[in-house]
Amino acid sequence: MRSPDPRRDRILLGGWLLAVFLASAVTDLLVLTAALAASMLLLRRGLVRNMRRVALSVVPVTALLSLLSFAVSWIARGAIPDVAPFAALGLRAVMISFLTFSALDRVNLFRALAPWPTPTRLLVVTLAQIHALRLLLTESLLGLKSRLVRKPGTIDVVRGAGGITGALFSLSARNARDVSDAMRSRGF
Amino acid sequence: MHVPDGFLSPQITVPAYAVSAPLWAWAARRHFGRASTDSLPIIGSLTALAFVIQTIMIPVPGGTSTHLVGVMLLALLYHPLVAFVCESLVLVVQALFFGAGGITVLAVNALAMGLAGPFAGWLVYHAARRVSEKGALFLAGYASMQVAALLVACSLALQHQLDPRYFPMPPAVTFPAMLLPSLTVAGLAEAAYTLFALSLLRRAKLALP
Repeated sequence: MRSPDPRRDRILLGGWLLAVFLASAVTDLLVLTAALAASMLLLRRGLVRNMRRVALSVVPVTALLSLLSFAVSWIARGAIPDVAPFAALGLRAVMISFLTFSALDRVNLFRALAPWPTPTRLLVVTLAQIHALRLLLTESLLGLKSRLVRKPGTIDVVRGAGGITGALFSLSARNARDVSDAMRSRGF
Repeated sequence: MHVPDGFLSPQITVPAYAVSAPLWAWAARRHFGRASTDSLPIIGSLTALAFVIQTIMIPVPGGTSTHLVGVMLLALLYHPLVAFVCESLVLVVQALFFGAGGITVLAVNALAMGLAGPFAGWLVYHAARRVSEKGALFLAGYASMQVAALLVACSLALQHQLDPRYFPMPPAVTFPAMLLPSLTVAGLAEAAYTLFALSLLRRAKLALP
């Protein structure tokens, strides 16, 4: 069971920030491999879930960028570039993301931010609206898909989006005001 | 378009935090104090809208994709510093909950996409609005995207100059990769989005400033 002491969350948050900045300074491939192995060993709880999140969110982008850059460097120089810096770049990105996801599993962000009510209120309002807007966006796209015989293209999406943006935003603003008022009435 | 974690060393990220921290504090005191109670829900909604806009990827030739930023609206409706704080919040949510961008590079991304870009767009809008309101909005959106992309490319190029082993891609690769999609696709899309979204928001008769 998590301790209700907000200092614990702030200390963990500070430790995570220090760890990611230290990780971002490392260029040696061996040190990075050892550090990643050590952090995976230390942060065993939720390891599979967090590595899966890293594999889905970070690995494709980093791998694509690294491979493209490697290929362009190869073509530009006419010789195979050193693989180690590209591998270190990928490993660094994986390690920092793994540390971030693992820290979030262990930190209650809202408890850590408790002494600052305005950022907390802005964060809550924004997160609530992000979820609402993403849901509405998905529903709008599905609606558009159901109305068309063929698969909707970019032009269809843009044409459809023009009509719903105003209504979506009105709905979102009303909802945000409700959330904000509710938080204010509770002392935030 | 923003820099992912691990691409910039503390040689760049720490000074960027040193520049951003007082600006965040100043912006928070000036624009997010007790007086902002009524505007906070609208700012929150516009921030969420910017977040959603940034998740929509626009395919560009070459197999990659780009995206809009969407905080130019906040700079035009409120102030570039409000856009800076809100874009920082978008970047924090992306880094913490979706693994995009990152916390070490947060200040660099926020300065480029949240401050320099919207501030340039805001200047362009105020310089050109007497000629044509719609033209000024379009130009503001386009300029904000170009300045943001240029600064992101400059930070990556600087990292390569400081330590090529840390970031192996040379500026000859970084600049075209960053600027070509921005000049041709993303800039025009951001300009069109700024123009149409602001017109729609004004027509929706919300409590906008």
